[in-house]
Amino acid sequence: MRSTFMGLETAKRGMYTQQGALYTTGHNISNANTPGYTRQRVNFEQTTPYPAPSMNRPQIPGQIGTGVDAGSIQRVRDSFLDMQYRGENQKLGYWETKMEAMKKMEEVMNEPSDSGLSKTMDMFWQSLQDLAVNPSNSGARSVVVERGKAVAETFNYLSSSLTSVRGDLKNELSVSEKQINSLSRQIDNINKQIADVEPHGYLPNDLYDERDRLIDELSQHVSIQTSYQSNGGASSPIAEGVVTVTLVGKNGNLAVNLVGKGGVKELKLTYDGPQNTVDTVTIGNQTLDVKDFLSQGEGKLRALIDTYGYKNKDGEAEGSYISMLDELDSMAYEFAKAFNEQHQKGFTPEQMNDPNFDPDNDTPDTPKFFQDAKNASADLDGVPKAGFAQRLQVADEMSNLDNIATAGADNPTLGDASNVLALADIITTTKLPYGEKEASFQGHFESVIGKMAVESQESVRLASNSNVLRGAVDERRMSVSGVSLDEEMTEMIKFQHAYNASARMITLQDEMLDKIINGMGTVGR
Amino acid sequence: MRVTQSMLTANSMRNLSSSYGRMGQLQDQLATGKKITKPSDDPVVAMKGMFYRSNLTGIEQYKRNLSELYLWMENSESGIEQANQGLQRVRELTLQGKNGTLSPEDRKAVAVEIEEIKNDLVSVAETKVAGRYIFHGTDVGNSPIKNGTPADGSAPQVADNLGNSAIDAYPVEVSQGVSLKANVNPNKVFNQKLFDTIHNIQKALESGDDSALDSQLEDLDSVMNTLSAERSELGARYNRLEMVDDRLAQQEVTANRILSDNEDADIERVITDLKTQESVHRAALGVGARIIQPTLMDFLR
Repeated sequence: MRSTFMGLETAKRGMYTQQGALYTTGHNISNANTPGYTRQRVNFEQTTPYPAPSMNRPQIPGQIGTGVDAGSIQRVRDSFLDMQYRGENQKLGYWETKMEAMKKMEEVMNEPSDSGLSKTMDMFWQSLQDLAVNPSNSGARSVVVERGKAVAETFNYLSSSLTSVRGDLKNELSVSEKQINSLSRQIDNINKQIADVEPHGYLPNDLYDERDRLIDELSQHVSIQTSYQSNGGASSPIAEGVVTVTLVGKNGNLAVNLVGKGGVKELKLTYDGPQNTVDTVTIGNQTLDVKDFLSQGEGKLRALIDTYGYKNKDGEAEGSYISMLDELDSMAYEFAKAFNEQHQKGFTPEQMNDPNFDPDNDTPDTPKFFQDAKNASADLDGVPKAGFAQRLQVADEMSNLDNIATAGADNPTLGDASNVLALADIITTTKLPYGEKEASFQGHFESVIGKMAVESQESVRLASNSNVLRGAVDERRMSVSGVSLDEEMTEMIKFQHAYNASARMITLQDEMLDKIINGMGTVGR
Repeated sequence: MRVTQSMLTANSMRNLSSSYGRMGQLQDQLATGKKITKPSDDPVVAMKGMFYRSNLTGIEQYKRNLSELYLWMENSESGIEQANQGLQRVRELTLQGKNGTLSPEDRKAVAVEIEEIKNDLVSVAETKVAGRYIFHGTDVGNSPIKNGTPADGSAPQVADNLGNSAIDAYPVEVSQGVSLKANVNPNKVFNQKLFDTIHNIQKALESGDDSALDSQLEDLDSVMNTLSAERSELGARYNRLEMVDDRLAQQEVTANRILSDNEDADIERVITDLKTQESVHRAALGVGARIIQPTLMDFLR
């Protein structure tokens, strides 16, 4: 037999549950503009009908519903979209960072322009041509020396500017390293809070949101995957549990946990070598060779390592800035060496004007034109090529303008300019060795700039591509999880009406009870 | 698909910012007049731009070199012209002195005039342009005449290295690997034979040795032949110089045009694009204003 007051209980449950749903609607509306917020919904569940099947159940026809209960409050979120978002986000992090670094390099190189290295070289060539036309003119000589200084200073400037930008990249690396560790620690903190809540059967939705937001942010820096483990206890079946964030490569090899049940593993970079390149990446107590780490997909950290420089498989320094600095060194070195060799083949006015000069038998006694700032007296053959662009200097001897060798060896007269013309050719046509191939100075420099431009263009294009892709995924995610005010309004009205109707049910019960208590058994009164 | 307010806002913001980006690019092009502002905008244009700039610098330089050629050639020409006139006069005077009707005093006077011409030839041979001797090949610092006009009345002596073929040419580069000789061959103009012949004529007139004058006249003719041969060679070279000048002027125009074609923005197109982009941007802003639509709230009491 069912209870007299059962209807009251059913209506009360309705009121409570609709009220809970209204509160949740209010929460959604309040957080409509909160970044990372996922709309929540109350999972309505019917309560157990009466009577429950058992041996001593009352024998009544059918089961009667007993009302509703708020089973759980759940986030509306698609974890597959999260995965896609993080994949695109790490690509965007990589290409945007690389684009910024390459843009800075392009700004330093400043080509094509009327003030870059190429123009300075052209002007040096012009001054040599002017001297070739008028080899005994001291004005033309001093212009050659000054333009030679301009060439040396341009090399110095380019090399030191690139070095200082590279220093900035190193700072960015350490900032990125700190951010990764800070994000890992925050994720770990939230993991712990969640572990405190979940075993009691609750769903800490707002903590989940915050954790997902932090993981999104972390995915910009490194390529990650997430997996979840239950916190046990009375955890709800839809509870997410503790997240384990794992660093992974494209083929899923070499997985290292950053955050998990065991807590945080700090990421740390070590530097080594003459150019202070990235050597190893330590995560917790596990040390990875940087080349193994670089197989770990993309992300901002990798872009910084790629541009700043790292130790490659052969133990050599590699990286966009390293290779540009090496190019400058090699260009400055090969050019200065060839220039000096040609210069020393010619006769200087200083020697030719000597009263004891014997044009038939004397051999050229000509000083160097360029020197190494750190080792002025050394022959360029003997000085190290590394860092030469920063040390290139016009030789001290050139303060005496008569020390410029104008005349060729076979015609040591003041009006002969064959040596100057040969010097001018070193800029335009003479093939100089660059690595394994030979090329003219100008031709090689053009190809260096071209290579840089293509690398930079690729990063600009892919940054904008991945930005569009990330935007698309984000839009889909917002479509699932974003708060729609119209929808919440509709829900509000729905729940409000249900609430009102439940209240009316209580009034009905009241009237029915009134009938039983005050109106029954009064026959003939 | 479920569409929410925040999606509309985010999309509108993204579109507005990319519209601004495109507008900024066009404004850059308009302000600088260049298609690209950094190499990554178009690597090929950047590389070609560097090459064309060097090319143009080269042509401008070669044009500058020409003025030196003009200077030398014109001065050489006028030096030879003066020498030629002097030699003609010597020839006339020699013929006059040879015909036997002149008194010894008159012959002396003729000899004196020839001596003056000789001295004049020495000073022409020592012509300097911008501090350089132009009739001494590449040895521009030293005079082609040893010790000037001898005080003892002997023949002027040319510098020892005048016959050295190494110093013959004073070349000036007029394009990559091509040079034009700016000077005349020093040994074919004011050479020892020229001074010796005039000196001998002078001496023969002074001493009245008519018989020697015949062979001297032959020598003089041969000197004059060499001189005019060198002069016509110079003239031919001057013609070539003018052709090179024309060619370089043409090349400069072409190089400028190629440079401009490669990297200069097509202003009409940029302005049209900018106008189009402006109206697109206006539309995007208009759409942005419509995002704040009335919601269901406006219809609920």
